[in-house]
Amino acid sequence: MKRHYRRYGIVLATGTAVIFLAAAFRPPHAARRNPTPYTLSYPAYFGNRINTTDDNPLTNEGVSLGRHLFYEKRLSANNSISCGSCHQQAHAFTDGRAFSPGFDGVFTKRSAMSLCNLLWVRHFFWDGRAASPEEQVVTPLTDAHEMGQSLDSSARKLRAIHSYAPLFTAAFGSDSITPDRIVRAIAQFERTLISAQSPYDRYIRGEYQPTVTEQRGLVLFYTNPDRNRGIRGAGCGNCHSGPKVFNETYHNNGLDSIPTDPGRADVTGMDYDRGRFRVVTLRNIALTAPYMHDGRFATLQAVIDHYSDHILPSLTLSPSLKDTANRPVNVQLTPEEKADLLAFLRMLTDSSFITDPRFSDPFADAGHHTKTDHHIISE
Amino acid sequence: MKRRFFVLVAIFCLVLPSAWAQAPQTASTGGQPAVVKVTGEVLTPLTLTATDLAAMPRTTAVAKDKQGVPHTFSGVALSEIFNKAGVTTGRQLRGENLAKYLLVTCADGYQVVFSLAELDSSFTDRVVILADQIEGRPLPAGTGPFRIVVPGEKKPARNCFQVTTLAIRFAKE
Ligand code: HEC
Ligand code: HEC
Repeated sequence: MKRHYRRYGIVLATGTAVIFLAAAFRPPHAARRNPTPYTLSYPAYFGNRINTTDDNPLTNEGVSLGRHLFYEKRLSANNSISCGSCHQQAHAFTDGRAFSPGFDGVFTKRSAMSLCNLLWVRHFFWDGRAASPEEQVVTPLTDAHEMGQSLDSSARKLRAIHSYAPLFTAAFGSDSITPDRIVRAIAQFERTLISAQSPYDRYIRGEYQPTVTEQRGLVLFYTNPDRNRGIRGAGCGNCHSGPKVFNETYHNNGLDSIPTDPGRADVTGMDYDRGRFRVVTLRNIALTAPYMHDGRFATLQAVIDHYSDHILPSLTLSPSLKDTANRPVNVQLTPEEKADLLAFLRMLTDSSFITDPRFSDPFADAGHHTKTDHHIISE
Repeated sequence: MKRRFFVLVAIFCLVLPSAWAQAPQTASTGGQPAVVKVTGEVLTPLTLTATDLAAMPRTTAVAKDKQGVPHTFSGVALSEIFNKAGVTTGRQLRGENLAKYLLVTCADGYQVVFSLAELDSSFTDRVVILADQIEGRPLPAGTGPFRIVVPGEKKPARNCFQVTTLAIRFAKE
């Protein structure tokens, strides 16, 4: 009996030693490495009300895969467009158009939105209908007139491209390419598009002295006009408020007296939401013309003229654009005040954001997106 | 000066009726009746309609508008709504329940917070109400049908308009 135990003991000990040695001398690349957490860095003045989720933690590998997919034209039905077609980095992720052609040439119903500081957005799109980046991403991928391809087809097409298996493995621990993983990776990339290096940021951090006109514009932007006390202001900060120049609320900013696009009412079904749209960020606004949900204004000058002189009354016009103004309904700024406001809006341009290699097209110089390559796997 | 005023009035008169005329069409996109949802740390989640509020014990609250003019609002005390929904009030409002707060959400996405203690009659005499009337008439379209009225607050920023949700939450830290 005892001898038996001894024998077992020896066998066990040798076995353990063998396993231990095997583990110790295993070549490093054979080990299953977990993806490394991505470090989000942003200024404290943005606050921490961010839309991350434990379900889809950001990792360097996941974000990198997301970046590839963002620029992957084969995610569209005829391999002709990617997210990056409507959201171009040089234009702060817009495309310079009022409406954008989808893979089939049919134009979108609303203007492509600029993508920046999405980490603080809680409801996506002009009407706030998507409650997370994950939910949002599915729309352009599968919309019949945007990229026009089911998530299953997208996964199938990616499986046929050999370069993707290692990227999925690095990001998610195995090479299985699924609709869910495609969505997660792109959502991770979206969350990293942070813009916080504009002259306005440097001003907030005390590193930049605004010019006289920028300074006057800044004050006008944040001041509420008050006729009774003779205070002039443009009252923009009521809606585009704080250092993010973004406030997740929905307003009718007086574009139409009878809104043709129901906006937020499409989501809620409430009459009082008719013609209300999400107050979008003004960061990089000088780069994202044309403006508004339908791209009706070609220049920032036209936008300022709108708020100053052409606000249209309607049932749902925001109360903050009604009687608080320098004059009833309209703000009515002088030409000099308009120029000051414009100077302030230009302070919001972050030139490092639009050249940051972390957000750029990874296929741009790799020669990956050659014409022949596109046609290898057309469905 | 006078001329311009008349032109403005004329524009209003032209535009408003056409905007009203549009209203029935909006019914096809929805045009649902407004409600206030009471959710979160409650025993009975509620969806309150205008009729529900009319049937509850009513009270009034006075608050000044932006121009400093006082108005009398009527509606239902938040504490009354809390009792109906089974929120920890009065003698139950102690211990960990003091870490609870009310998050008010409005149709335009605006949100404000009150701690439960701020709204409880065992802590304060101030009665914050969910109002549906101003000077005995329904609230005007831009602020109604339901709004918060906090009497005696220096800044009217928590007197928020078009309330859609009252959520009771626990501070989680
Ligand atoms: C055909 C042009 C087009 C393509 C392709 C496209 N988008 Fe968009 N994007 C738009 C339009 C238009 C909107 C606004 C839609 C709306 O509000 O109804 C938008 C809105 C968004 C928003 C919302 C931003 C915000 O602040 O709420 C995000 C994020 C976004 N797109 C990401 C993507 C991603 C990721 C892809 C690729 C999977 C993509 N888009 C592909 C046109 C496009
Ligand atoms: C009542 C709230 C409100 C106020 C006040 C306000 N805005 Fe806006 N702003 C909005 C909304 C809502 C939108 C989107 C509207 C749409 O597209 O239909 C918007 C859109 C814009 C856009 C276009 C954004 C884009 O990406 O196309 C610019 C530029 C802008 N506002 C600048 C200003 C300036 C400058 C002021 C002050 C003169 C101002 N806003 C005051 C609510 C407001």
